[in-house]
Amino acid sequence: MKLLRVSVNQLRQFRDPVEIRDLEDGINLFTGPNESGKSTLVRAIRAAFFERHKSSSVGDLQPWGDSAAAPEVELQFEWQGKIWKVVKSFLKKKRCDVSVDGTTYSGDEGDDKLADLLGFDLPKKGASNEKHWGIPGLLWIEQGAGQEIKAPVEHAGQQLKAALGEDLGEVASSTGDELIGRVSSERSKLLTGRGKPTGELSKAMDQEEELQAELHDLRERIQRYADQVDRLGQLRAEQQKADAERPWEQFRQQAQQAQQALDSVTALQKDQERDQQALSDCQASIETTRELLKGFESQKGELAERERQQQEANQKRTELEARKPAVEEALEKARRAHKGAREALKRAENAERREELERQQKDLEADLKRDSDKLERAKSLHARLLESRQKQQALALDADSMKQLQEAVRALERLDIQQKAVATRLQYDLQDDQAVTLDGEALSGKGESLLLEPGEVAVRGVGTLRILPGGDDVAEVARNQARLTDERDGLLQSLGVSSLAEAEQRLAEHDELAQAIEKDQSVLNELAPEGLDALSDDLKLRQDKLERLAEQVSALPAPQGEALSVTRAQAQVETAEEALESAEDAYQSYKNEMALADQALEKASQEHRRIKTALEDPKRSEQEKQAQNQLLERGAAERRFQQSIAERDLKIQAARPDALQQDVERFTRSAEAAERQLEERTRELDKIQAVLETVGAEGLGEKCAETEVQLERASRRRAELQRRADALDLLLERLTAHRLELTRRLQAPLQKHLTHYVQLLFPGGSLRVDENLIPEVLVRQTHGAEERGSFDDLSFGAREQMALISRLAYADLLSESGQPTLIILDDALVHSDAERLKAMKRVLYDASQRHQILLFTCHPENWQDLGVVAQSMEALKSA
Amino acid sequence: MPRFLHTADWQIGRQYPRFDPDDAVPLAEARLTAVERIAALAAEESVDAVFAAGDVFDAQTVSDRTIRRLFNAMAGYTGPWILLPGNHDAALAESVWTRAQRLDAVPDNVHLALSAEPIEFSEQGFVVLPAPLAQRHAQNDLTAWFDQADTDSGLIRIGVAHGSVQGVLAEEMEAHNPIAPDRAETARLDYLALGDWHGAKQINARTWYSGTPEQERFRGNEPGHVLLVDIASSGATPAVMTHFVGQHQWIQHEAALAVSSDVDALVSALQELPEGAVVDLKIAGTVDLEGKQALDRAISVAKARFRSLTVDDAGLRLQPSEEDIASLKADGYVGAVIAELQEEQSGENGEVARDAMAVLAEILLDAQGQGGGA
Repeated sequence: MKLLRVSVNQLRQFRDPVEIRDLEDGINLFTGPNESGKSTLVRAIRAAFFERHKSSSVGDLQPWGDSAAAPEVELQFEWQGKIWKVVKSFLKKKRCDVSVDGTTYSGDEGDDKLADLLGFDLPKKGASNEKHWGIPGLLWIEQGAGQEIKAPVEHAGQQLKAALGEDLGEVASSTGDELIGRVSSERSKLLTGRGKPTGELSKAMDQEEELQAELHDLRERIQRYADQVDRLGQLRAEQQKADAERPWEQFRQQAQQAQQALDSVTALQKDQERDQQALSDCQASIETTRELLKGFESQKGELAERERQQQEANQKRTELEARKPAVEEALEKARRAHKGAREALKRAENAERREELERQQKDLEADLKRDSDKLERAKSLHARLLESRQKQQALALDADSMKQLQEAVRALERLDIQQKAVATRLQYDLQDDQAVTLDGEALSGKGESLLLEPGEVAVRGVGTLRILPGGDDVAEVARNQARLTDERDGLLQSLGVSSLAEAEQRLAEHDELAQAIEKDQSVLNELAPEGLDALSDDLKLRQDKLERLAEQVSALPAPQGEALSVTRAQAQVETAEEALESAEDAYQSYKNEMALADQALEKASQEHRRIKTALEDPKRSEQEKQAQNQLLERGAAERRFQQSIAERDLKIQAARPDALQQDVERFTRSAEAAERQLEERTRELDKIQAVLETVGAEGLGEKCAETEVQLERASRRRAELQRRADALDLLLERLTAHRLELTRRLQAPLQKHLTHYVQLLFPGGSLRVDENLIPEVLVRQTHGAEERGSFDDLSFGAREQMALISRLAYADLLSESGQPTLIILDDALVHSDAERLKAMKRVLYDASQRHQILLFTCHPENWQDLGVVAQSMEALKSA
Repeated sequence: MPRFLHTADWQIGRQYPRFDPDDAVPLAEARLTAVERIAALAAEESVDAVFAAGDVFDAQTVSDRTIRRLFNAMAGYTGPWILLPGNHDAALAESVWTRAQRLDAVPDNVHLALSAEPIEFSEQGFVVLPAPLAQRHAQNDLTAWFDQADTDSGLIRIGVAHGSVQGVLAEEMEAHNPIAPDRAETARLDYLALGDWHGAKQINARTWYSGTPEQERFRGNEPGHVLLVDIASSGATPAVMTHFVGQHQWIQHEAALAVSSDVDALVSALQELPEGAVVDLKIAGTVDLEGKQALDRAISVAKARFRSLTVDDAGLRLQPSEEDIASLKADGYVGAVIAELQEEQSGENGEVARDAMAVLAEILLDAQGQGGGA
């Protein structure tokens, strides 16, 4: 199909007729800014096809505010060698004329003719909407709707499927889908979507498991029962054996025998103990007797020893006695030496004292002489100072008055100068010296007088000239002069001087005197820092001291020859003291030794006497004899006991009393154990018997068998359901797979076109459509790996690109099945980046080889490389 | 002339786990009614005694009720019963027998041969030498003592034992409780009544297994009998007569299906099997949808006729015919799935493919039925 010409009049923007002619095969590019009429043109084309000419719902076609307009569209296109002319106008002038190669169809017939040709529906009533648009709705993309593909495809579904062939309809509508529904529903009764058991199957599995557990439990109980039966049999056999053998009786008898043997050994052990006691008593007695005899023997030796000791003591005492005179003499000598040394020391000390006092006397006398001179000088200085001060006082002037005087004098001097300046000058040059007087004083020669007060110049022969100095100044100066003169005179009087010079002379003298005073005062301070009285008192004190020293010297004894030095004398005293001390020690130790010797002698004599008395006692020999007899007797008894003990010990050891004791215990315990075992066995027998009777009555075997029956049934049911589930699962899988395969096969022609375009964008890529031919999955090769992305998850731009590709593929499909295709893109691909846009242009150019494409854009720069001349909307309108 | 009834292996209390409870309960019940029939037969034939040679009870742990019911079932014969403990009901320290005694359930005319000592019936002219099992399995021949047992010379000597006669039975049967094959001779027995082998079997002129009176497994060695034994006098050769008392026959049937007439043959074969039988049916081969439907109907009918019918059709492949597929309207990819499943039925995962095929057919037929009805 090729659109040849479009003209529009009184339609929206186009209040005046606009015509587009000479449309090309392939791409026709229309550019213009926003609101330049691109969308209006698209709307006009759509209206020409989609809207019934009689529709009253197309008010939007009228230019704004012009309700009287009759919007009109004229189209001319070629299809299968025939030229179609369409003239449609709406609202105020409702008209439709479609002529095909000369045959004209008017009114509704014309509307329907177009709908049949392009594959869309017309609304029965009202405005056309997307549900009616069919193929053009899919291929004519409105502004901003490029990414929307699902709804348009659905609305064009019939025609698209028809283009693919009749079989495709079969896939969705035959018994197959119903079958899949049934199988899926049956399967869902037994399996969840993920293949987990549910419903009856899950219940059957639970039941089987439950029964298995129950059966296991019952079998265990039966096994336990059987074990207990065995135990019962074993216990019965043991009991029979015990009843027959009665082992505990035998053990009791054995215990008794052992006890008897043990008793007889115990008797022997008692005898043994008794004899051992007797033996030890006997041995103790022998020991005592031996001690006694030994005592007797040692006494004899002791007597001799005592005699010797006595002699020794005596000898020692005599020797000590002989040393006495020498010791006493040494002591006396030491005492004398000590006394002499002490006296010598006293003398030395006195001599040293005198020497010291005499030296002090001499020093003091010298000091006294020097300080007396000093005192004299100080006194005379003091007197001179007094005089100077009196003189100074007379010369003193009051400082303030002095200052006032100076100021008054200076002011007067200033006034004097002032007076000369303001005074009336009387200059004269007289020839006759006697002729002129001023205030009575004659004036002569050449001169000048200053007049401060009125003056009278008498000129002889002439009369008197009275001169009055002019102005207040002269008078005031004169007044000030008088006041200051009074003041000065007052001050001079009060100061007692005749002039300022005198006053200043007096002041100079006064200062000079002050300096002399200061100098004298400083010398005086040096001589008597604490004053004259202090100096004189000090002198007096030292005088007294000197007198006392003289007294002390005279009090000392007179010196006797040459005296030792004190140090030497002290050393001699110390030596004498040491010698005395050692002499006294020697004497004391001698006295002690003497006392000890006396004591020893006394003691030795006593001992000697005592032993001698004892030895001479007559009873003593009798005792000695008795003791010796006793010793013999006890010795024999000891040997007897020892023999009897040794013999008995052999007997006891042979009988092994410890082993016998253990035997008694062992046999007794064995008997007890046997009896206890008997009791325990009886108890266990009773217990097991009771348990078995109870359990036996439960009919475990039958219960077990019944449970087996139930389990068998449950297992069978589970297996049946499992098999059914597996079968349904397999069936569903196969049916779905085959259905998909068939769909794929039927979609192959479309898929071919899709792949063709997608690979212009993504080499190796493909776009899958679902069974309704709606794009579903984009498959790309990225870094050698296959990447799948759901269409709905793609970015806006990518979705728009894929949607356009799908549309072009649908167009190819339709074209192949002999259907007209016209593609209109209003501002398409605005969301594509430069790279993609480039690829998409290849896609579009490729499609334009087979289809006419009208492309409207407000971005002409993006489409310069489409290989066509762009037509400006502005140019169209102004043409 | 003394006449005895020889039976064994009653296995009272036996349950049948592999059957549905609907079938298993009556089968268990049948073992008790077998005893009732034995009692009636004994009374009818006026026998002098009934010997039950072991495994009277199936387990030691049967319920008290079951114990009482057994002795009640024996009430039809008031003469002496001699019951011998076997390996299932050995005379242990505590056993089903001691419980029966404690329950006071044992009538006076019933003699429990719990120990190895002769039981004399002087009036009737015979003495019983029992070889009771006092443990579950004995390694030695418990009948050995018969050789030394002295009895009054005029009395007929009858041994009763439970175990495997050596060298006669299948090897696995001989592991436990051995019995010397010439025991009757060495112990001068007039008759040796044996239990443990579940079919009626003669070992020698004086030695017999009676087998169980009520069949309880498919392997059949003449089960369902009791033996009537006539012994003219001490030393005379006994005259032994088998007597069928069984209620349910246990039958295994196998069928291989290939063509549609095979299904018809199987249907009529099932019709010919006796009512009340316990049937184990194994079907293999292939069948089309029509055949399958016919088969299902026949099995449904047979289930009502038999005591129990177990069908194992694991080897049966559902092979829809061209007509089947056409009638199911299984065209397009559904047809492809059917073909695929058919292919896989004989493969590694054949079972699940078969099941899937069956389910598919079921759903399609169901849909068709609904479609037809609507």
